[in-house]
Amino acid sequence: MKGHYEKIGTIGILLIPLLFVLRGGYLQEVTGYVYLFLIQGYVAWFLFFKSGQPFFGYSVTMAIGAYGTIVLTEIFKWPLLGAMMISAAFAPVVGVILFLSTIRAKGFYVSMTSFLLAIMFPQLINALQDITGGRSGLYFSGMTAFMGYKTLYIIVILTTVVVVTFFVWIMGTKTGRILTLISENDRLTQAVGINTFRYKLLAYTIACFISGLGGALYVNYTGFISSIDIEVFTTLYIFFIPLIGGSSVFFGPFLGALFVILIPELLVPVERYYRIFFGLIFILIIVLLPKGLAPSLRRVFEKIRKKNV
Amino acid sequence: MGGILSLPVLGVAVIYGITGIPNFAIGVIGVFGGFVTWYFFSSSIGLAIAIGIVVCFIIGFIIQRVLLTPISEKGGDSTLFFIITVSVGFVFEGMLRAIFPRPNISLELPRIGTMNLGGFTVEWFKIIALVFAIVTLIVIRLMEEHTEIGKSWQATSQNLKLAKLVGIKTTQVFSFASGIGCALACIGAIFWGSLYNLQLSSGWDLGFMGFIVAVVGGIGNIWGGLISALIMGMVMSFSGYLFGGEWQSVILYLIVIIVLIIAPKGILGSERSL
Repeated sequence: MKGHYEKIGTIGILLIPLLFVLRGGYLQEVTGYVYLFLIQGYVAWFLFFKSGQPFFGYSVTMAIGAYGTIVLTEIFKWPLLGAMMISAAFAPVVGVILFLSTIRAKGFYVSMTSFLLAIMFPQLINALQDITGGRSGLYFSGMTAFMGYKTLYIIVILTTVVVVTFFVWIMGTKTGRILTLISENDRLTQAVGINTFRYKLLAYTIACFISGLGGALYVNYTGFISSIDIEVFTTLYIFFIPLIGGSSVFFGPFLGALFVILIPELLVPVERYYRIFFGLIFILIIVLLPKGLAPSLRRVFEKIRKKNV
Repeated sequence: MGGILSLPVLGVAVIYGITGIPNFAIGVIGVFGGFVTWYFFSSSIGLAIAIGIVVCFIIGFIIQRVLLTPISEKGGDSTLFFIITVSVGFVFEGMLRAIFPRPNISLELPRIGTMNLGGFTVEWFKIIALVFAIVTLIVIRLMEEHTEIGKSWQATSQNLKLAKLVGIKTTQVFSFASGIGCALACIGAIFWGSLYNLQLSSGWDLGFMGFIVAVVGGIGNIWGGLISALIMGMVMSFSGYLFGGEWQSVILYLIVIIVLIIAPKGILGSERSL
Protein backbone atom coordinates (compact mmCIF):
# COMPACT_ATOMS: atom_id res chain seq x y z
CA MET A 1 0.00 0.00 0.00
CA LYS A 2 2.91 2.30 0.92
CA GLY A 3 4.48 1.66 -2.50
CA HIS A 4 1.15 2.42 -4.14
CA TYR A 5 0.97 5.85 -2.47
CA GLU A 6 4.56 6.48 -3.46
CA LYS A 7 3.80 5.77 -7.12
CA ILE A 8 0.71 8.02 -7.15
CA GLY A 9 2.60 10.69 -5.20
CA THR A 10 5.50 10.64 -7.69
CA ILE A 11 3.16 11.06 -10.66
CA GLY A 12 1.22 13.78 -8.82
CA ILE A 13 4.41 15.73 -8.06
CA LEU A 14 5.46 15.43 -11.69
CA LEU A 15 2.26 17.22 -12.74
CA ILE A 16 2.91 20.24 -10.49
CA PRO A 17 4.94 22.18 -13.14
CA LEU A 18 1.76 22.50 -15.20
CA LEU A 19 0.91 25.27 -12.72
CA PHE A 20 3.79 27.32 -14.21
CA VAL A 21 2.27 27.24 -17.70
CA LEU A 22 0.74 30.66 -17.61
CA ARG A 23 3.78 32.26 -15.98
CA GLY A 24 6.23 31.31 -18.73
CA GLY A 25 9.77 32.67 -18.51
CA TYR A 26 13.00 31.16 -17.30
CA LEU A 27 11.49 28.85 -14.67
CA GLN A 28 9.22 27.26 -17.26
CA GLU A 29 12.06 26.86 -19.73
CA VAL A 30 14.34 25.18 -17.18
CA THR A 31 11.55 22.92 -15.91
CA GLY A 32 10.95 21.64 -19.45
CA TYR A 33 14.65 20.99 -19.78
CA VAL A 34 14.75 19.09 -16.46
CA TYR A 35 11.79 16.96 -17.58
CA LEU A 36 13.43 16.09 -20.90
CA PHE A 37 16.42 14.78 -18.96
CA LEU A 38 14.07 13.10 -16.50
CA ILE A 39 12.77 10.95 -19.38
CA GLN A 40 16.36 9.85 -20.04
CA GLY A 41 16.95 9.41 -16.29
CA TYR A 42 13.97 7.05 -16.01
CA VAL A 43 15.28 5.14 -19.03
CA ALA A 44 18.57 4.62 -17.16
CA TRP A 45 16.61 3.76 -14.00
CA PHE A 46 14.64 1.10 -15.88
CA LEU A 47 17.42 -0.40 -18.00
CA PHE A 48 20.48 -0.19 -15.76
CA PHE A 49 19.15 -0.20 -12.24
CA LYS A 50 15.92 -2.19 -12.50
CA SER A 51 16.73 -4.58 -15.36
CA GLY A 52 20.45 -4.87 -14.57
CA GLN A 53 21.60 -4.20 -18.14
CA PRO A 54 25.01 -2.45 -18.15
CA PHE A 55 24.23 0.16 -20.79
CA PHE A 56 25.88 3.59 -21.03
CA GLY A 57 24.76 4.73 -24.47
CA TYR A 58 21.89 6.98 -23.37
CA SER A 59 23.27 10.04 -25.14
CA VAL A 60 23.54 7.97 -28.33
CA THR A 61 19.95 6.72 -28.34
CA MET A 62 18.79 10.23 -27.43
CA ALA A 63 20.88 11.72 -30.26
CA ILE A 64 19.53 9.21 -32.79
CA GLY A 65 16.01 10.38 -31.97
CA ALA A 66 17.02 14.04 -32.18
CA TYR A 67 19.17 14.00 -35.32
CA GLY A 68 16.88 11.47 -37.04
CA THR A 69 13.92 13.80 -36.57
CA ILE A 70 15.77 16.76 -38.08
CA VAL A 71 17.23 14.82 -41.01
CA LEU A 72 13.94 13.11 -41.89
CA THR A 73 11.88 16.31 -41.71
CA GLU A 74 14.36 18.79 -43.15
CA ILE A 75 16.11 16.69 -45.82
CA PHE A 76 13.56 13.99 -46.66
CA LYS A 77 10.54 16.23 -45.95
CA TRP A 78 8.74 13.63 -43.83
CA PRO A 79 5.82 14.68 -41.62
CA LEU A 80 7.11 15.59 -38.16
CA LEU A 81 5.28 12.97 -36.11
CA GLY A 82 6.29 10.17 -38.51
CA ALA A 83 9.90 11.38 -38.43
CA MET A 84 9.90 11.41 -34.63
CA MET A 85 8.46 7.90 -34.41
CA ILE A 86 10.77 6.38 -37.02
CA SER A 87 13.83 8.05 -35.44
CA ALA A 88 12.76 6.78 -32.03
CA ALA A 89 12.27 3.31 -33.52
CA PHE A 90 15.80 3.38 -34.94
CA ALA A 91 17.32 3.93 -31.48
CA PRO A 92 16.39 0.40 -30.25
CA VAL A 93 17.92 -1.03 -33.45
CA VAL A 94 21.30 0.38 -32.34
CA GLY A 95 20.72 -0.64 -28.71
CA VAL A 96 19.68 -4.17 -29.62
CA ILE A 97 22.60 -4.62 -32.06
CA LEU A 98 24.94 -3.59 -29.24
CA PHE A 99 23.22 -5.99 -26.85
CA LEU A 100 23.40 -8.89 -29.33
CA SER A 101 27.03 -8.11 -30.18
CA THR A 102 28.13 -8.08 -26.57
CA ILE A 103 26.11 -11.07 -25.47
CA ARG A 104 29.27 -13.13 -24.87
CA ALA A 105 30.79 -10.43 -22.67
CA LYS A 106 29.92 -9.77 -19.08
CA GLY A 107 29.13 -6.76 -16.91
CA PHE A 108 31.67 -4.00 -17.15
CA TYR A 109 32.89 -4.95 -20.65
CA VAL A 110 29.37 -4.41 -21.97
CA SER A 111 29.26 -1.08 -20.13
CA MET A 112 32.55 -0.14 -21.73
CA THR A 113 31.37 -1.01 -25.24
CA SER A 114 28.28 1.17 -24.90
CA PHE A 115 30.36 3.87 -23.18
CA LEU A 116 32.74 3.81 -26.16
CA LEU A 117 29.76 4.26 -28.45
CA ALA A 118 28.85 7.32 -26.36
CA ILE A 119 32.40 8.68 -26.80
CA MET A 120 32.43 7.89 -30.52
CA PHE A 121 29.02 9.24 -31.49
CA PRO A 122 29.79 12.99 -31.12
CA GLN A 123 32.97 12.43 -33.16
CA LEU A 124 30.84 10.77 -35.85
CA ILE A 125 28.47 13.74 -35.78
CA ASN A 126 31.50 16.04 -36.22
CA ALA A 127 32.84 13.92 -39.08
CA LEU A 128 29.43 14.11 -40.82
CA GLN A 129 29.16 17.85 -40.29
CA ASP A 130 27.82 18.52 -43.80
CA ILE A 131 24.60 16.80 -42.73
CA THR A 132 24.65 17.20 -38.95
CA GLY A 133 26.25 20.62 -38.56
CA GLY A 134 28.93 19.12 -36.27
CA ARG A 135 29.88 21.40 -33.39
CA SER A 136 28.06 24.36 -34.96
CA GLY A 137 24.85 22.34 -34.75
CA LEU A 138 21.47 22.46 -36.45
CA TYR A 139 18.52 24.73 -35.75
CA PHE A 140 15.07 23.20 -35.87
CA SER A 141 11.68 24.83 -35.59
CA GLY A 142 9.81 21.49 -35.38
CA MET A 143 6.61 21.62 -33.34
CA THR A 144 7.01 25.31 -32.56
CA ALA A 145 6.29 26.00 -36.25
CA PHE A 146 2.62 25.13 -35.71
CA MET A 147 2.06 25.39 -31.96
CA GLY A 148 2.97 27.78 -29.19
CA TYR A 149 5.89 27.25 -26.83
CA LYS A 150 3.48 26.81 -23.90
CA THR A 151 1.66 23.98 -25.67
CA LEU A 152 5.00 22.32 -26.35
CA TYR A 153 5.90 22.73 -22.68
CA ILE A 154 2.63 21.00 -21.70
CA ILE A 155 3.42 18.19 -24.17
CA VAL A 156 6.88 17.74 -22.59
CA ILE A 157 5.43 17.55 -19.07
CA LEU A 158 2.63 15.18 -20.07
CA THR A 159 4.96 12.93 -22.09
CA THR A 160 7.29 12.70 -19.10
CA VAL A 161 4.36 11.80 -16.84
CA VAL A 162 3.20 9.13 -19.34
CA VAL A 163 6.77 7.71 -19.58
CA VAL A 164 7.19 7.60 -15.78
CA THR A 165 3.72 6.06 -15.34
CA PHE A 166 4.59 3.46 -17.96
CA PHE A 167 7.87 2.54 -16.24
CA VAL A 168 6.24 2.45 -12.81
CA TRP A 169 3.44 0.28 -14.24
CA ILE A 170 5.75 -2.13 -16.07
CA MET A 171 7.87 -2.70 -12.97
CA GLY A 172 4.72 -3.85 -11.18
CA THR A 173 3.82 -6.40 -13.87
CA LYS A 174 5.12 -9.96 -14.25
CA THR A 175 7.61 -8.68 -16.86
CA GLY A 176 8.92 -6.09 -14.39
CA ARG A 177 9.30 -8.68 -11.66
CA ILE A 178 11.23 -10.97 -13.99
CA LEU A 179 13.48 -8.06 -15.01
CA THR A 180 14.14 -7.36 -11.31
CA LEU A 181 14.96 -11.02 -10.84
CA ILE A 182 17.36 -10.90 -13.81
CA SER A 183 19.09 -7.84 -12.35
CA GLU A 184 19.47 -9.60 -9.00
CA ASN A 185 20.54 -13.02 -10.25
CA ASP A 186 20.69 -13.69 -13.97
CA ARG A 187 21.80 -17.32 -13.67
CA LEU A 188 19.16 -18.21 -11.10
CA THR A 189 16.47 -16.68 -13.33
CA GLN A 190 17.69 -18.83 -16.21
CA ALA A 191 17.84 -21.88 -13.94
CA VAL A 192 14.15 -21.61 -13.08
CA GLY A 193 13.34 -21.86 -16.78
CA ILE A 194 12.80 -18.20 -17.71
CA ASN A 195 14.01 -17.12 -21.14
CA THR A 196 16.13 -14.21 -19.89
CA PHE A 197 17.34 -13.35 -23.39
CA ARG A 198 13.79 -12.45 -24.47
CA TYR A 199 13.25 -10.22 -21.44
CA LYS A 200 16.60 -8.45 -21.83
CA LEU A 201 15.81 -7.84 -25.49
CA LEU A 202 12.46 -6.39 -24.48
CA ALA A 203 14.10 -4.15 -21.87
CA TYR A 204 16.59 -2.80 -24.43
CA THR A 205 13.85 -2.23 -27.01
CA ILE A 206 11.55 -0.37 -24.62
CA ALA A 207 14.33 1.71 -23.03
CA CYS A 208 16.03 2.72 -26.28
CA PHE A 209 12.71 3.56 -27.98
CA ILE A 210 11.70 5.85 -25.13
CA SER A 211 15.18 7.39 -25.04
CA GLY A 212 14.95 8.04 -28.80
CA LEU A 213 11.49 9.54 -28.41
CA GLY A 214 12.82 11.72 -25.59
CA GLY A 215 15.61 12.85 -27.92
CA ALA A 216 13.11 13.73 -30.65
CA LEU A 217 11.10 15.75 -28.15
CA TYR A 218 14.31 17.37 -26.84
CA VAL A 219 15.24 18.82 -30.21
CA ASN A 220 11.70 20.13 -30.71
CA TYR A 221 11.83 21.86 -27.34
CA THR A 222 15.35 23.30 -27.50
CA GLY A 223 15.15 24.06 -31.24
CA PHE A 224 18.85 23.26 -31.60
CA ILE A 225 21.28 20.37 -31.29
CA SER A 226 25.02 20.03 -31.79
CA SER A 227 27.67 17.41 -31.06
CA ILE A 228 28.45 19.31 -27.83
CA ASP A 229 24.95 18.51 -26.51
CA ILE A 230 25.53 14.78 -26.86
CA GLU A 231 29.09 14.53 -25.58
CA VAL A 232 30.01 11.63 -23.35
CA PHE A 233 29.28 13.76 -20.27
CA THR A 234 25.61 13.84 -21.28
CA THR A 235 25.46 10.07 -20.88
CA LEU A 236 27.20 10.39 -17.51
CA TYR A 237 24.76 13.06 -16.31
CA ILE A 238 21.84 10.87 -17.41
CA PHE A 239 23.32 7.93 -15.52
CA PHE A 240 23.87 10.11 -12.46
CA ILE A 241 20.14 11.03 -12.34
CA PRO A 242 18.89 7.72 -10.83
CA LEU A 243 22.21 7.08 -9.08
CA ILE A 244 22.22 10.36 -7.17
CA GLY A 245 18.47 10.43 -6.65
CA GLY A 246 18.28 6.83 -5.48
CA SER A 247 17.29 3.94 -7.71
CA SER A 248 15.37 1.98 -5.09
CA VAL A 249 12.63 4.59 -4.81
CA PHE A 250 10.18 5.59 -7.56
CA PHE A 251 10.71 9.32 -7.07
CA GLY A 252 14.52 8.89 -6.87
CA PRO A 253 15.22 9.88 -10.49
CA PHE A 254 13.02 12.95 -10.03
CA LEU A 255 15.20 14.19 -7.16
CA GLY A 256 18.28 13.16 -9.15
CA ALA A 257 17.19 15.16 -12.22
CA LEU A 258 16.50 18.23 -10.09
CA PHE A 259 19.93 17.84 -8.56
CA VAL A 260 21.97 17.03 -11.68
CA ILE A 261 20.34 19.64 -13.94
CA LEU A 262 19.65 22.40 -11.42
CA ILE A 263 22.93 22.35 -9.49
CA PRO A 264 24.88 23.62 -12.53
CA GLU A 265 22.26 26.40 -12.90
CA LEU A 266 22.74 27.37 -9.24
CA LEU A 267 26.52 27.30 -9.61
CA VAL A 268 26.53 29.79 -12.51
CA PRO A 269 27.74 32.66 -10.23
CA VAL A 270 30.83 30.57 -9.36
CA GLU A 271 31.25 29.19 -12.87
CA ARG A 272 35.01 29.04 -12.56
CA TYR A 273 34.75 26.60 -9.65
CA TYR A 274 31.66 24.83 -10.93
CA ARG A 275 33.33 21.52 -11.86
CA ILE A 276 35.10 21.31 -8.50
CA PHE A 277 31.84 21.71 -6.57
CA PHE A 278 30.00 19.41 -8.96
CA GLY A 279 32.59 16.63 -8.61
CA LEU A 280 32.86 17.03 -4.84
CA ILE A 281 29.09 16.96 -4.39
CA PHE A 282 28.90 13.73 -6.41
CA ILE A 283 31.70 12.12 -4.41
CA LEU A 284 30.14 13.15 -1.09
CA ILE A 285 26.71 11.84 -2.04
CA ILE A 286 28.08 8.52 -3.31
CA VAL A 287 30.27 8.05 -0.23
CA LEU A 288 27.89 9.36 2.45
CA LEU A 289 24.54 8.41 0.88
CA PRO A 290 25.33 5.30 -1.19
CA LYS A 291 21.63 4.60 -1.75
CA GLY A 292 21.02 8.10 -3.09
CA LEU A 293 19.11 11.15 -1.92
CA ALA A 294 15.56 9.82 -1.92
CA PRO A 295 15.93 6.89 0.54
CA SER A 296 17.91 9.13 2.91
CA LEU A 297 15.29 11.85 2.65
CA ARG A 298 12.58 9.30 3.33
CA ARG A 299 14.41 8.09 6.43
CA VAL A 300 14.66 11.69 7.70
CA PHE A 301 10.90 12.22 7.17
CA GLU A 302 10.10 8.97 8.93
CA LYS A 303 12.27 9.97 11.91
CA ILE A 304 10.53 13.36 12.12
CA ARG A 305 7.11 11.68 11.91
CA LYS A 306 8.00 9.20 14.64
CA LYS A 307 9.22 12.03 16.87
CA ASN A 308 5.97 13.93 16.37
CA VAL A 309 3.91 10.83 17.18
CA MET B 1 51.35 8.16 -31.34
CA GLY B 2 51.48 4.64 -29.89
CA GLY B 3 54.54 5.57 -27.84
CA ILE B 4 52.76 8.47 -26.16
CA LEU B 5 49.56 6.50 -25.69
CA SER B 6 51.51 3.67 -24.09
CA LEU B 7 52.34 5.74 -20.98
CA PRO B 8 48.79 6.44 -19.74
CA VAL B 9 47.94 2.88 -20.83
CA LEU B 10 50.74 1.61 -18.60
CA GLY B 11 49.37 3.80 -15.82
CA VAL B 12 45.89 2.30 -16.20
CA ALA B 13 47.34 -1.22 -16.42
CA VAL B 14 49.52 -0.79 -13.30
CA ILE B 15 46.64 0.62 -11.24
CA TYR B 16 44.07 -1.89 -12.44
CA GLY B 17 46.47 -4.83 -12.39
CA ILE B 18 47.35 -4.26 -8.74
CA THR B 19 44.30 -2.61 -7.17
CA GLY B 20 41.57 -4.01 -9.42
CA ILE B 21 40.10 -0.50 -9.63
CA PRO B 22 39.41 1.14 -13.01
CA ASN B 23 40.58 4.73 -12.51
CA PHE B 24 39.07 7.05 -15.13
CA ALA B 25 40.55 10.17 -13.53
CA ILE B 26 44.09 9.15 -14.41
CA GLY B 27 44.22 11.25 -17.62
CA VAL B 28 42.90 14.39 -15.93
CA ILE B 29 45.35 13.96 -13.06
CA GLY B 30 48.17 13.43 -15.60
CA VAL B 31 47.21 16.63 -17.45
CA PHE B 32 47.01 18.44 -14.10
CA GLY B 33 50.64 17.38 -13.62
CA GLY B 34 51.39 18.63 -17.14
CA PHE B 35 50.00 22.06 -16.21
CA VAL B 36 52.02 22.04 -12.95
CA THR B 37 55.12 21.25 -15.04
CA TRP B 38 54.29 24.13 -17.39
CA TYR B 39 53.88 26.49 -14.39
CA PHE B 40 57.46 25.82 -13.21
CA PHE B 41 58.90 25.51 -16.71
CA SER B 42 60.63 28.87 -16.76
CA SER B 43 62.81 28.04 -13.72
CA SER B 44 64.27 24.70 -14.83
CA ILE B 45 62.85 22.13 -17.25
CA GLY B 46 64.17 19.13 -15.31
CA LEU B 47 62.91 20.45 -11.98
CA ALA B 48 59.53 21.35 -13.49
CA ILE B 49 59.08 17.83 -14.88
CA ALA B 50 60.11 16.32 -11.54
CA ILE B 51 57.64 18.54 -9.66
CA GLY B 52 54.82 17.58 -12.05
CA ILE B 53 55.54 13.87 -11.67
CA VAL B 54 55.86 14.06 -7.86
CA VAL B 55 52.62 16.06 -7.57
CA CYS B 56 50.79 13.42 -9.64
CA PHE B 57 52.29 10.60 -7.57
CA ILE B 58 51.11 12.27 -4.36
CA ILE B 59 47.62 12.91 -5.79
CA GLY B 60 47.32 9.29 -6.94
CA PHE B 61 48.60 8.03 -3.57
CA ILE B 62 46.20 10.17 -1.54
CA ILE B 63 43.12 9.48 -3.67
CA GLN B 64 43.71 5.76 -3.40
CA ARG B 65 44.38 5.91 0.34
CA VAL B 66 41.56 8.24 1.33
CA LEU B 67 38.85 7.45 -1.18
CA LEU B 68 39.24 4.35 -3.35
CA THR B 69 40.67 1.76 -0.96
CA PRO B 70 38.04 2.41 1.75
CA ILE B 71 35.26 2.09 -0.86
CA SER B 72 36.89 -1.06 -2.24
CA GLU B 73 36.99 -2.57 1.27
CA LYS B 74 33.26 -1.91 1.59
CA GLY B 75 32.73 -3.97 -1.57
CA GLY B 76 32.43 -1.30 -4.30
CA ASP B 77 31.98 -2.63 -7.82
CA SER B 78 33.43 -1.47 -11.17
CA THR B 79 30.43 0.75 -11.93
CA LEU B 80 30.77 2.55 -8.61
CA PHE B 81 34.49 3.13 -9.23
CA PHE B 82 33.68 4.36 -12.71
CA ILE B 83 31.35 7.00 -11.26
CA ILE B 84 33.63 7.93 -8.35
CA THR B 85 36.74 8.30 -10.48
CA VAL B 86 34.88 10.32 -13.13
CA SER B 87 33.76 12.62 -10.28
CA VAL B 88 37.38 12.87 -9.11
CA GLY B 89 38.21 13.79 -12.72
CA PHE B 90 35.61 16.59 -12.57
CA VAL B 91 37.27 17.96 -9.43
CA PHE B 92 40.74 18.05 -11.02
CA GLU B 93 39.46 19.47 -14.29
CA GLY B 94 37.75 22.16 -12.20
CA MET B 95 41.01 22.80 -10.35
CA LEU B 96 42.79 23.25 -13.68
CA ARG B 97 40.22 25.89 -14.67
CA ALA B 98 40.45 27.59 -11.28
CA ILE B 99 44.22 27.58 -10.77
CA PHE B 100 45.82 28.03 -14.18
CA PRO B 101 45.29 31.22 -16.11
CA ARG B 102 45.58 29.70 -19.60
CA PRO B 103 43.21 27.07 -21.03
CA ASN B 104 45.70 25.92 -23.63
CA ILE B 105 49.41 25.32 -23.07
CA SER B 106 52.36 23.92 -24.93
CA LEU B 107 55.42 22.44 -23.23
CA GLU B 108 58.38 23.56 -25.28
CA LEU B 109 60.84 20.73 -24.73
CA PRO B 110 64.10 20.86 -26.74
CA ARG B 111 63.48 19.44 -30.23
CA ILE B 112 65.56 16.47 -31.28
CA GLY B 113 64.45 16.08 -34.87
CA THR B 114 62.86 13.29 -36.86
CA MET B 115 63.87 9.93 -38.31
CA ASN B 116 62.82 8.03 -41.44
CA LEU B 117 61.06 4.75 -40.72
CA GLY B 118 60.05 2.76 -43.83
CA GLY B 119 59.23 5.88 -45.80
CA PHE B 120 57.43 7.59 -42.91
CA THR B 121 58.85 10.48 -40.95
CA VAL B 122 58.63 9.84 -37.22
CA GLU B 123 59.62 12.31 -34.52
CA TRP B 124 62.36 11.08 -32.22
CA PHE B 125 60.24 12.28 -29.37
CA LYS B 126 57.60 9.62 -30.06
CA ILE B 127 60.33 6.96 -30.22
CA ILE B 128 61.69 8.17 -26.87
CA ALA B 129 58.19 7.96 -25.37
CA LEU B 130 57.88 4.38 -26.59
CA VAL B 131 61.35 3.42 -25.36
CA PHE B 132 60.52 5.02 -22.02
CA ALA B 133 57.32 2.95 -21.82
CA ILE B 134 59.19 -0.28 -22.65
CA VAL B 135 61.95 0.47 -20.14
CA THR B 136 59.32 1.26 -17.48
CA LEU B 137 57.59 -1.99 -18.24
CA ILE B 138 60.84 -3.97 -17.97
CA VAL B 139 61.70 -2.20 -14.71
CA ILE B 140 58.27 -3.08 -13.30
CA ARG B 141 58.71 -6.72 -14.34
CA LEU B 142 62.25 -6.86 -12.88
CA MET B 143 61.03 -5.30 -9.65
CA GLU B 144 58.29 -7.91 -9.44
CA GLU B 145 60.87 -10.69 -9.77
CA HIS B 146 63.72 -9.34 -7.64
CA THR B 147 62.55 -6.86 -5.03
CA GLU B 148 60.40 -7.10 -1.92
CA ILE B 149 58.17 -4.25 -3.08
CA GLY B 150 57.63 -5.89 -6.47
CA LYS B 151 56.85 -9.24 -4.89
CA SER B 152 54.33 -7.61 -2.58
CA TRP B 153 52.67 -5.99 -5.66
CA GLN B 154 52.43 -9.35 -7.35
CA ALA B 155 51.13 -11.10 -4.25
CA THR B 156 48.52 -8.40 -3.67
CA SER B 157 47.28 -8.52 -7.25
CA GLN B 158 47.09 -12.34 -7.25
CA ASN B 159 45.48 -12.99 -3.88
CA LEU B 160 44.53 -10.06 -1.70
CA LYS B 161 43.37 -12.08 1.32
CA LEU B 162 46.49 -14.24 1.38
CA ALA B 163 48.70 -11.18 0.92
CA LYS B 164 47.06 -9.56 3.96
CA LEU B 165 47.47 -12.80 5.91
CA VAL B 166 51.23 -12.93 5.33
CA GLY B 167 51.57 -9.37 6.59
CA ILE B 168 51.80 -7.36 3.38
CA LYS B 169 50.52 -3.84 3.91
CA THR B 170 48.09 -4.01 0.99
CA THR B 171 46.71 -0.51 1.58
CA GLN B 172 50.19 0.91 1.06
CA VAL B 173 50.75 -1.29 -2.01
CA PHE B 174 47.50 0.00 -3.54
CA SER B 175 48.35 3.62 -2.80
CA PHE B 176 51.85 3.21 -4.21
CA ALA B 177 50.49 1.59 -7.40
CA SER B 178 47.96 4.40 -7.82
CA GLY B 179 50.74 6.98 -7.35
CA ILE B 180 52.94 5.25 -9.95
CA GLY B 181 50.01 5.03 -12.38
CA CYS B 182 49.23 8.75 -12.07
CA ALA B 183 52.94 9.63 -12.39
CA LEU B 184 53.10 7.61 -15.64
CA ALA B 185 50.01 9.44 -16.89
CA CYS B 186 51.77 12.72 -16.07
CA ILE B 187 54.82 11.71 -18.14
CA GLY B 188 52.43 10.80 -20.98
CA ALA B 189 50.77 14.22 -20.65
CA ILE B 190 54.18 15.96 -20.74
CA PHE B 191 55.10 14.12 -23.97
CA TRP B 192 51.65 14.94 -25.37
CA GLY B 193 51.97 18.58 -24.35
CA SER B 194 55.31 18.91 -26.07
CA LEU B 195 54.08 17.44 -29.37
CA TYR B 196 50.55 18.86 -29.40
CA ASN B 197 48.81 21.25 -27.01
CA LEU B 198 47.48 20.48 -23.56
CA GLN B 199 43.96 21.81 -23.05
CA LEU B 200 41.76 21.78 -19.97
CA SER B 201 39.80 18.86 -21.39
CA SER B 202 42.82 16.94 -22.76
CA GLY B 203 42.85 14.80 -19.62
CA TRP B 204 39.58 13.14 -20.56
CA ASP B 205 40.83 12.34 -24.07
CA LEU B 206 44.08 10.96 -22.68
CA GLY B 207 42.37 9.05 -19.86
CA PHE B 208 39.53 7.57 -21.89
CA MET B 209 41.87 6.68 -24.72
CA GLY B 210 44.36 5.18 -22.25
CA PHE B 211 41.61 3.14 -20.66
CA ILE B 212 40.17 2.01 -23.99
CA VAL B 213 43.56 0.93 -25.28
CA ALA B 214 44.24 -0.88 -22.00
CA VAL B 215 40.89 -2.71 -22.29
CA VAL B 216 41.72 -3.76 -25.86
CA GLY B 217 45.09 -5.10 -24.74
CA GLY B 218 43.45 -6.98 -21.87
CA ILE B 219 42.99 -4.68 -18.90
CA GLY B 220 45.59 -5.23 -16.20
CA ASN B 221 47.81 -7.02 -18.72
CA ILE B 222 50.82 -4.70 -19.06
CA TRP B 223 52.28 -6.32 -22.22
CA GLY B 224 48.83 -6.44 -23.81
CA GLY B 225 48.41 -2.74 -23.07
CA LEU B 226 51.72 -1.89 -24.74
CA ILE B 227 50.97 -3.90 -27.88
CA SER B 228 47.48 -2.44 -28.03
CA ALA B 229 48.88 1.12 -27.66
CA LEU B 230 51.21 0.54 -30.60
CA ILE B 231 48.46 -0.92 -32.80
CA MET B 232 45.98 1.81 -31.87
CA GLY B 233 48.60 4.50 -32.40
CA MET B 234 49.23 3.18 -35.89
CA VAL B 235 45.51 2.90 -36.60
CA MET B 236 45.07 6.55 -35.59
CA SER B 237 47.98 7.74 -37.69
CA PHE B 238 46.96 5.77 -40.79
CA SER B 239 43.25 6.56 -40.55
CA GLY B 240 44.11 10.25 -40.14
CA TYR B 241 46.39 10.02 -43.19
CA LEU B 242 43.83 8.13 -45.32
CA PHE B 243 40.48 9.64 -44.30
CA GLY B 244 41.37 12.95 -42.66
CA GLY B 245 41.67 14.06 -39.04
CA GLU B 246 37.93 14.18 -38.33
CA TRP B 247 37.55 10.43 -39.00
CA GLN B 248 40.61 9.46 -36.93
CA SER B 249 38.82 8.97 -33.60
CA VAL B 250 35.67 7.53 -35.19
CA ILE B 251 37.68 4.75 -36.87
CA LEU B 252 39.70 4.11 -33.72
CA TYR B 253 36.59 3.74 -31.55
CA LEU B 254 34.85 1.60 -34.16
CA ILE B 255 37.81 -0.78 -34.27
CA VAL B 256 37.95 -0.89 -30.49
CA ILE B 257 34.21 -1.67 -30.28
CA ILE B 258 34.65 -4.47 -32.84
CA VAL B 259 37.67 -5.86 -30.94
CA LEU B 260 35.69 -5.81 -27.70
CA ILE B 261 32.79 -7.59 -29.38
CA ILE B 262 35.05 -10.29 -30.85
CA ALA B 263 37.44 -10.62 -27.90
CA PRO B 264 35.73 -9.19 -24.81
CA LYS B 265 38.83 -9.82 -22.67
CA GLY B 266 41.18 -8.02 -25.01
CA ILE B 267 43.97 -9.11 -27.35
CA LEU B 268 46.08 -10.88 -24.72
CA GLY B 269 43.32 -11.45 -22.18
CA SER B 270 42.82 -9.73 -18.86
CA GLU B 271 44.84 -10.62 -15.78
CA ARG B 272 41.79 -9.76 -13.73
CA SER B 273 38.13 -10.03 -14.55
CA LEU B 274 36.02 -6.94 -14.67
